[in-house]
Amino acid sequence: MSSNEPNHFFASPTRRDFLRRAGAGFGSLALASLLTEEAGARGLGKAKRVIWLFMNGGPSHVDTWDYKPALEKYDGKELKGFDTTTGFFADSVGPLMKSPFTFAQHGKSGTWVSEIFPKLAAHVDDMAFLHSCYTETNNHSPALFQINTGMSRMGFPSVGAWVTYGLGSLNKSLPSFMVMYDTLGRGLPKGYAQNWGSGFLPGVFQGTALNNQGQPINDLERKLTEPAQRAQLDLLQRLNKQHLAASDNDPQLTARIESFELAYRMQMAAPDALEIAKEPQDIRDLYGVDKKECGHFARQCLMARRLVERGVRFVQIYSGGEENEKSWDGHTNIVANHRGFAAETDQPIAALLTDLKQRGMLDDTLVIWCGEFGRLPLVQKGGTGRDHNPHAFTCWMAGGGVKAGVHYGETDEIGHKAVKDHVHINDLHATILHLLGINHEKLTYFFNGRNYRLTDVAGEVVKAILA
Amino acid sequence: MKTLLPLALLALFQPPRPATSDAAQLFEAKVRPVFAARCLSCHKGTQAAASLRLDLPQGWKNVVASGTLLRAVRHEPGVAAMPPTGTKLSERELAGLTEWVKQGAPGPVTLAKPDPTKHWSFQPLQKSPLRSPDGVEAMLEAKRRELGLSRNAPAPKSVWLRRVSFDLIGLPPTPEEIAAFLADKASGAESRVVDRLLTSPRFGEKWARHWLDLARFAESHGYEQDYDRPNAYTYRDFVIKAFNDDLPYDMFVKWQLAGDEFAPNNPQALFATGFLGAGTHATQITKSQVEKERYDELDDMLSVTTQAFLGLTVGCARCHDHKYDPIPTKDYYRMLATFTKTVRSDVDVPLDPDGDKTKLAAWEKVKEPLVTARAAWEREKLPAKLAHWVATTSRKPAEWVFPKVEKAVSAGGATLAVQPDSSVLVTGTNPEHETLTFTLKTSQKKLAALRIEALTHPSLVKSGPGRATNGNFALSNVWVRVEGPSGGFGGVKLTSAKADFEQKGLPVAAAIDGDGVSSWAIDPQFGKSHSAVFILESPVSIPEGFAVTVRLEFNNNSGHGMGRPRLAFAESADAPLDGFAVADGPEGLLQWYKTLDLEWQALNTAVEKHDAVRPGPTLKKAMICSEGVTAIRTHTQGGDFLENTHFLKRGDPNHKGDIATPSFLGVLTHAADSTWQEKMPSGSHTSYQRRAFANWLTDTKNGAGSLLARVIVNRLWQRLYGRGIVATPSDFGTMGERPTHPELLDSLATKLISGGWHLKPLLKELVLTESYRQSASVSSAKAKADPDNRWLSRFSRRRLEAEGIRDAMLFVSGQLDTTLYGSGTLDESMKRRGIYFFLKRSKLVPFLVAFDAPNALQSIGVRQSTTVAPQALIQLNNLQARTWAASFAKRVEAPYAPAESLRRAYLLALGRTPTASEISDGVAYLNKGGTLTDFCQVLFSLNEFSYVQ
Repeated sequence: MSSNEPNHFFASPTRRDFLRRAGAGFGSLALASLLTEEAGARGLGKAKRVIWLFMNGGPSHVDTWDYKPALEKYDGKELKGFDTTTGFFADSVGPLMKSPFTFAQHGKSGTWVSEIFPKLAAHVDDMAFLHSCYTETNNHSPALFQINTGMSRMGFPSVGAWVTYGLGSLNKSLPSFMVMYDTLGRGLPKGYAQNWGSGFLPGVFQGTALNNQGQPINDLERKLTEPAQRAQLDLLQRLNKQHLAASDNDPQLTARIESFELAYRMQMAAPDALEIAKEPQDIRDLYGVDKKECGHFARQCLMARRLVERGVRFVQIYSGGEENEKSWDGHTNIVANHRGFAAETDQPIAALLTDLKQRGMLDDTLVIWCGEFGRLPLVQKGGTGRDHNPHAFTCWMAGGGVKAGVHYGETDEIGHKAVKDHVHINDLHATILHLLGINHEKLTYFFNGRNYRLTDVAGEVVKAILA
Repeated sequence: MKTLLPLALLALFQPPRPATSDAAQLFEAKVRPVFAARCLSCHKGTQAAASLRLDLPQGWKNVVASGTLLRAVRHEPGVAAMPPTGTKLSERELAGLTEWVKQGAPGPVTLAKPDPTKHWSFQPLQKSPLRSPDGVEAMLEAKRRELGLSRNAPAPKSVWLRRVSFDLIGLPPTPEEIAAFLADKASGAESRVVDRLLTSPRFGEKWARHWLDLARFAESHGYEQDYDRPNAYTYRDFVIKAFNDDLPYDMFVKWQLAGDEFAPNNPQALFATGFLGAGTHATQITKSQVEKERYDELDDMLSVTTQAFLGLTVGCARCHDHKYDPIPTKDYYRMLATFTKTVRSDVDVPLDPDGDKTKLAAWEKVKEPLVTARAAWEREKLPAKLAHWVATTSRKPAEWVFPKVEKAVSAGGATLAVQPDSSVLVTGTNPEHETLTFTLKTSQKKLAALRIEALTHPSLVKSGPGRATNGNFALSNVWVRVEGPSGGFGGVKLTSAKADFEQKGLPVAAAIDGDGVSSWAIDPQFGKSHSAVFILESPVSIPEGFAVTVRLEFNNNSGHGMGRPRLAFAESADAPLDGFAVADGPEGLLQWYKTLDLEWQALNTAVEKHDAVRPGPTLKKAMICSEGVTAIRTHTQGGDFLENTHFLKRGDPNHKGDIATPSFLGVLTHAADSTWQEKMPSGSHTSYQRRAFANWLTDTKNGAGSLLARVIVNRLWQRLYGRGIVATPSDFGTMGERPTHPELLDSLATKLISGGWHLKPLLKELVLTESYRQSASVSSAKAKADPDNRWLSRFSRRRLEAEGIRDAMLFVSGQLDTTLYGSGTLDESMKRRGIYFFLKRSKLVPFLVAFDAPNALQSIGVRQSTTVAPQALIQLNNLQARTWAASFAKRVEAPYAPAESLRRAYLLALGRTPTASEISDGVAYLNKGGTLTDFCQVLFSLNEFSYVQ
């Protein structure tokens, strides 16, 4: 791959063309100047790619990464002055509940980690923890939209779409933004494909979600034998080129001719990228591919590594399905719920970090772990679970220019609300873009009369976690 | 993999020359604030320091060109450091100025902030009527001449035909249509083709799809559960029909906003209101989010309204006055208030209310003499006949009498209704245990027996006769009291009972055994009526004015009451179980007797037969938007709407200001609000606020009508020429592109209005211009002189839209199902046109999405037209694409020789005959093992197939 070649999943001249024809002159202008500045003045971002491990349903921060010993003291006591509309069930507000899990300190950073993450605990010195994240809504789909697109309303471009719009792909034969969701039949995250949609950005920037059964990507399987298809394609391209010559060599026609060759290559490249059977046994064992409790997620983590290795820019993997006990949404029994999902993900994610590191890829791969909100330090009446908490949750990042082994922000003594160094979703997004070398204020797209940004009119980069 | 990607991208992103708006924005954002804060205090006006005026472009031109400006503010040696006092400009300010200089220092004419209310699109239409027949062309030609450009020669006739067919009906011409057009040498051949296309029902399907993009139309709620809206398709059907019928555009607008107020009896006007509710709706709303979600929903209604109709974005004004356009926050909330109580509702719409009325009147006219004849017979013949019968019969007139039901009460809260046949229908709540109490009046003097009938009814499970889930009942106790108005008498004892059927173990005797639980029931004889007779210990006399109270208790099983009990009294204890009965009083006997008479039966049958054909309204379930109707509710912890719309501080419902009263956009309002407001008629369930808004919107004199006309004219233009006269068709604000041909735009808008807002004549005029007819070829000189084809120096080659590609493949394969209207499907193998897919937001049709169909979340004025590998994968591997190619092959296969098959295939797919070399190439392909299906798939995949040129 030559260094000056525009490496795109889509045919190159058309991108410029459609941006121009879509009246998006300013979007592309801003991008061009942004990139000049980044490339020339400040150098590129450390992260070249992103793997976002999305713990769908809202993992409880006080039972995972935000240790709150004070909860043991207050266990069973009522939280005075609590606004009962904070969570989803206003009429099921119970007293404070200590974490049912034991915590221990790990690594040089002395990070407190819940017992449910025995393998991840070994990686805390590679992680930067943001304990003071908060969001604006207490319900799954708006919160999912907010963390994925910056807006709690439906219809805006997702982070992955913005990033690939800004940076493109490193591989011509694969989509630049790929998504994997639950393969155990527990459904898609609430709000479905809009969580990786491209909103008003061109459709090419939307995430390609791998189908959870059958062919992973639509229409990838050829209906003819390879030689027969090649012969068919040769005839097509011959006729197309004759037409092109008679059509002033119109670049949009050239691009379409090229897109058929890309498609032809994709038929081989994509299955190859997803073929984890080609991985040696020790790697499969590292991830736990053959283990019953975590095999499904292990395969996805391993696929993610193979995809980013081949130049896919942005991969998002959802742990858990739609809601309640199908996801991290532990309303009724936090022990069973979180132990279950931790067991599904602990080894695969730990393995992913190990594997990226041993391949020298962790330095320029940003790994993100979070859900759409946190959970209340209270018990939800009628069970031993916890309700949604938009006021606080923990996100950790690793690799890709993140300062290793640091903690940023704090929640109050019971983990109810973020109280120090608040990190709004806009701040989180600004930080992610910054790590990728993108100035979040400059990555804009002109649509229906205004310039849009991922971070709307806000967003501060969390400098404290930058390496 | 260590590529310096952004550098590579830079080459890719060589920006087009900055549009005026970009430049203006750069100036506004980066330069004006710096000049204003740091420079203008000295460098302004005629007394400017060093005679350097930074309030005029002429002033800064020289210092920019010489580099002095940047050197001064950077404090470089050789020039005076600026500003002379205070701090140096910040890095950010310097970077902004540098960027601006690098861009060639674009800026407005003067530093005085332009008055946005003077913006061109907010002004009245400029009158410069088109001089027909060449008005449009003359204006285009004048502009080209001015710029030293010329248009191309006309495209070949067959190319024009294909172009205009795709543009007007979204399908290619058939070989027969091509042959007919090429053979038509008479003048006006083109005009005849256009007329044919404009009257085809396919026209509405093509143009409705464009409108649905603007209306962000889909048929599900989105968000958490993405529930379906099974009746939302009626809006789509309205749009198709409106285009086919050439509904005047102002009416089209009015109905979408307030069809329920403008024409409540017109089903199309009701369907049209689906526009407002076509956007998303959160399906699960928590208590703390109720207000925010409703304000979001109102914003969606207002935003789509202003964007689609006026090409204006008002959403920004939700938090602050619009930065560039004269849209203050105050106006935003007052416009928002228009929709305060508007909700989605599924209603039964009478499809033809006037016709229904006419039909009913005709029916009633026929009925009247039938009823009169029966009444006359009853009046004139019945009394004598009865008297004769009484005198001559040996039969006792009646064994049982139905007493008058004065009162019927359900202790369990069920609804009771006395029926004409003296039975009592029990509906509504079905309580665990039930007690029914009847207060009865009779003219009989004596009471010896009570009969209880348990009658069936279609409203009951299995028709009853009981209310239990299997149709059973369980009568536990029967109590009878005879009481005077002020007491006296009391309970009477029942001593024996018999019934027509008894369930095993639940005999009728159990109903009078004094045990509150043991009962009479009838399992398994459901679905038929039953009766039981209870004999009094000794007959009691019923003095004048006394009433009989009967209480039936049902305590044995859950919900086992009777569904339609009927009580009868007999004066003799011998009255048989199945003995006949009449209603109480002399009238009762009369009514009973007449039913035995053959003459009466004939007259009555005539009435009943006619009743059976009473014409009802033809109803259609539709999702409309209105006020005072039952809202479609999903899961919400709040109401369907908020009582009032408030001004919000920074768009936050937690920071409410005063209540916003409905009004309009100030900059487009040139008369008092009362001009458009109408008093709502008494009894109206809607507020007439939307009607007022629509009145204002379509008012070409004092309201927004001029802009409304400009925007739609531009949208039509954009569809035909590939680019609008205003290149940003949904942004006519100050950030939008300026019109390339402002006089032409205004002339067409004026013409549209004076022509009664009909769109078809306008479309016809546009596709018959020389500019539309010219070829698409482009020389490099032309490409340089007119890169975006702003000046129409050629026809703009462009790809078909998603539905166009799919529809054309189906059409050419001979598989297209042209059924008009009706609900859609998610089935990808559907053979109807793409517009008939059911649009579920979480399950958009992959084929259409791949070719840039919108995601129905925002109003879309211009679709993207991308070229990506997944599109090619569809052409190569998609099951439907293969299936249609096979059908296509079937149309052209043997008995034809291969060359003839190819010739036919080319004509069907591309509207032309193949060249000799194309034939030989194709034949060679077939000879080497390619199938005809494979070949047809190649034709579908050609650029020539997907591009209009």
